[in-house]
Amino acid sequence: MASAVRTVRRQVRPILSIDQPEARSRVLNLYKAWYRQIPFIVQDYHIPKSVIQCRKKLREEFLKNAHVRDIRAIDLLVIKGQMELKETVEIWKQKGTLMNYFKETEEKKPTDFLSKFLSGHD
Amino acid sequence: MLRLPLIRAAGLSGCRLGATGLHTTASKLQAPPEQIEVFIDDIPVLVDPGTTVLQAAAKIGVEIPRFCYHERLAVAGNCRMCLVEIEKQIKPVAACAMPVMKGWRVKTNSDLTRKAREGVMEFLLVNHPLDCPICDQGGECDLQDQSMAFGNDRSRFVDINFSGKRAVEDKDVGPLIKTVMTRCIHCTRCIRFASEVAGVDDLGTTGRGSDMQVGTYVEKMFLSELSGNVIDLCPVGALTSKPYAFVARPWETRRTDSIDVLDAVGSNIVVSTRSGEVLRVLPRLNEEINEEWLSDKSRFACDGLKRQRLLTPMMKVDSKLQPVEWEDALVAASRALQQAPATKIAAVTGKLADAEALISLKDLFNKLGSETLATEQPFPKDGAGIDLRSSYIMNNKIAGIEEADVVVLIGTNPRFEAPLVNTRLRKSYLHREQTIALIGPEVDLTYEYEHLGDSAEVISQLKNGTHPFCATLKNAKAPLIILGAEQLGRSDGSKILAETQALAASLGKTVQAPENWKVLNVLHSNASQVAALDLGYGSSLAEIKAQNPQVLFLLGADDADIKREDFPNTFIIYLGSHGDQGACIADVVLPGAAYTEKNASYVNTEGRAQQTGTAVNPPGMARPDWKIIRALSEFIGVRLPYDTIHDVRGRLEQVAPHLVRYGDIEPANYFAQALELAKKTGSFASDPLELKQKTLDEFFMTDVVSRASPTMAKCVQAVIKQRQAQL
Amino acid sequence: MNLTSNRVIRVLLLKNCSLSKALKNVRGVQSSAGRLSDHLFVHRDSEENNPNTPFEFNEANKKRVEAILAIYPEGHKRGAMMPLLDLAQRQLGWLPISAMHKVAEILKLPNMRVYEVATFYTMFNRQPVGKYHVQVCTCTPCWLRGSDEILQAVTKAANCAVGHTSADKLFTVIEVECLGACANAPMLQVNDDYYEDLTAETTEKIINALKNGQDKPPPGPQVSSRFAAEPAGQLTTLTSPPPGPGFKIRSDL
Repeated sequence: MASAVRTVRRQVRPILSIDQPEARSRVLNLYKAWYRQIPFIVQDYHIPKSVIQCRKKLREEFLKNAHVRDIRAIDLLVIKGQMELKETVEIWKQKGTLMNYFKETEEKKPTDFLSKFLSGHD
Repeated sequence: MLRLPLIRAAGLSGCRLGATGLHTTASKLQAPPEQIEVFIDDIPVLVDPGTTVLQAAAKIGVEIPRFCYHERLAVAGNCRMCLVEIEKQIKPVAACAMPVMKGWRVKTNSDLTRKAREGVMEFLLVNHPLDCPICDQGGECDLQDQSMAFGNDRSRFVDINFSGKRAVEDKDVGPLIKTVMTRCIHCTRCIRFASEVAGVDDLGTTGRGSDMQVGTYVEKMFLSELSGNVIDLCPVGALTSKPYAFVARPWETRRTDSIDVLDAVGSNIVVSTRSGEVLRVLPRLNEEINEEWLSDKSRFACDGLKRQRLLTPMMKVDSKLQPVEWEDALVAASRALQQAPATKIAAVTGKLADAEALISLKDLFNKLGSETLATEQPFPKDGAGIDLRSSYIMNNKIAGIEEADVVVLIGTNPRFEAPLVNTRLRKSYLHREQTIALIGPEVDLTYEYEHLGDSAEVISQLKNGTHPFCATLKNAKAPLIILGAEQLGRSDGSKILAETQALAASLGKTVQAPENWKVLNVLHSNASQVAALDLGYGSSLAEIKAQNPQVLFLLGADDADIKREDFPNTFIIYLGSHGDQGACIADVVLPGAAYTEKNASYVNTEGRAQQTGTAVNPPGMARPDWKIIRALSEFIGVRLPYDTIHDVRGRLEQVAPHLVRYGDIEPANYFAQALELAKKTGSFASDPLELKQKTLDEFFMTDVVSRASPTMAKCVQAVIKQRQAQL
Repeated sequence: MNLTSNRVIRVLLLKNCSLSKALKNVRGVQSSAGRLSDHLFVHRDSEENNPNTPFEFNEANKKRVEAILAIYPEGHKRGAMMPLLDLAQRQLGWLPISAMHKVAEILKLPNMRVYEVATFYTMFNRQPVGKYHVQVCTCTPCWLRGSDEILQAVTKAANCAVGHTSADKLFTVIEVECLGACANAPMLQVNDDYYEDLTAETTEKIINALKNGQDKPPPGPQVSSRFAAEPAGQLTTLTSPPPGPGFKIRSDL
């Protein structure tokens, strides 16, 4: 059974990268592209963040997916990252959309009884 | 009047008990009559002789349309909607009134039957206005449904210029029922209900032929504690709810099964809500409790849930209550409780408190080292006190009342304290030759009873056999004593209880009737009382007053006559849903949820645990009561170990397992022990037994919800107006 | 309310033909029962008819009440309701609501049960009537035999419109459905007496006699040729004596 699974996995068609090093280089390329673009993005969008802050955020966003090991998944994330970059560079996005990277989109729901009680959550 | 007066008269002359004895024993001795076989739509069904065609059909699930027939009312047979064909009979017969005969083949869906139904429907609709769009019954109308299902699909009523549709003037039958008498199809259900169940013979038919109308003839309101039920009974929109008029359509509302808590009966209800608002309350079938009726207070007081509500926590700032945040209120309350010594704190619980809140409050107080927890309505501590459950619940169950042959009511007016217990009494009075006697003030119970006097001494006289009524009691096969809980709050409450227990024990010796027959029953009027006693709320208000507490916690206690003057230096914390007596005198007000806004357990007078459903959310910043107490405990620093309703119920189960066995009754059977413990000392107070609710106007406003209800206020006005008009 | 407005429309219809055409297409929103021999089936307190006016059976009638009640066995006393209502009506001439209450009290019944009976039967007069309650039959046989003229003669002689009481409170004239004397059509009933085989003249004579306080005209057929409901003129059938024994029986038997 296990061998059957393995054969199936071997036969999966790669998206872009054939092996781990190739995927890694793609990620690094994307990272570099973003890294170089950030000063222009900060200028174009006129966001109240410095280049350093943005680069920190960039690193944070990449490290969010540091656990991904599947080559196909990495490839997809890279493709999405490229699309994101393209949209950002072309100014298809708006200021607020970029700022979303810096905002918590949801408030944390209270978990203990008392804070639930005081905030009126059940 | 409905009771066969012949048997009644015979009974009064002495042979009556023999007659009933014959009735009960004979029915047991006789072999059950042979069942007869009939065929409903060629399906054989075995039924008892005397079963009607309609009942036989219902047995195999064949629904025959009907308007006038109702299971709980006498058969009238006047709407003719239930006509069915019976093989080898020329004419269709009315299924509701025709007892089946052996071998009958009933055809409920033959051409003849269908034609008969169509014809009846056509005649009904000839004089029925086409005002469904403005009719409140629309969507839940029997006539609408049945004309869709059984009527013809086209009309022969082409004479649209003919203005001769029958028109009948509307009647003013009070502030609860809206009448549009033109819509009436003369099923007479309301008349039969008024005369058989409610016992108020004010409705009837006047006139004849096409001019016949249902009404009161004279200008008189139909005032009864059960009048709202005719709204449910009315198959058309002739009688609809006045407070609910033009409010909502049935398909817009959300229905939540719940329990009524405005009396201790625990009637099952359905709460109709729309967008966070309780629109109306309807009864839900429960054969063991309310059958399918509901008292007017339970049904119409729901508009009191929107008025006088406490929406935010409040604190007394500069001797005025000011809205504050939860934190502030809880900090203030907790500080007061922390600073007071354990002997100087006390709690009183009101009539609407649920078991979850009661257990939380008790746990909190116990953690603080106090055991001074009282119920609004005191229960004597002498003798067994609250330790033996049998001395404070209705042991023989509500449905069990019907089995009794002699009932002695002591210091209670079941008609207003528990209207649905009274319907049982009336039912057995009419149909089972029950003899009912009353000790206490003379009130109208809708049936005849023997008034034994209004002094508590009579209980002893009955026990000693020196009262003339003892002759009847001695011969009773299934005697029942119903003691009003109100009397236990008297100064001689323990004596009354002890004497009643002794009387019950002496009667119990002669009981021959059913097994597990329990003579002693206590009828409560407060929904929270049994749960509170089960959980050990053993203190009394008098004790608390004597203790002069530093902090007094009121759990919805609004009716206990607690005055600021009695507690001049006490810090009063009030937790409840309505701004009433309790909130007025409080230093901190914590807004709680009303019974439609929480999932909570209540125990009715029988000791039956039931739970309410959350129909709407608590308004404003109000929270379910137990959560408030739980949060308060954390502020005090004695955290109660439960975070969810399930945890609380787990705790309830630890303390009293029957409180979470919903729908069941845990029987209590410690009468002998209770009697043993009962102290024989003391004597009766000289003043006669008194009742809070003696007349109808005293029935409508008895708790915070009904006091806040404008509809209930209108009812009181109407009763007073009618009384003055008749003087 | 509706009653009056509707009546107004009806009167207008009669008075003005062109208007009636215009009104004919107006769809009446409501209509009320016609007032024939009976009245509204709801009670309205009035000066002479309200629950506060006392009613008591007189001494003679009290004995009759006892006698009537004695007929009915214990437990079925409510059967005496109609005789008692009738007795009350005979005492007063009509049946005020206080009399109904009295009957209910005697029979220990809710008032409503008495109202039901009293309103069902049109012969219980729930409104005051004149000394002579003239009921003119206008059902088919009487109508064919000219009850219209009779009615006209009555209203003219009594000076009182149909359904009303005359100003002197002597007569109340109403139209009724069949009184069961079709063989003697046309006919009318004055209180308990039937006057049959009427013509306009005889009718007028009866009413005038009553009006002038003369002796009550003898009831029954008002033509000399008839004693009761026998054929007018002579017998038209069964004219010969019945045949004796052996009639039409085979000779060999």
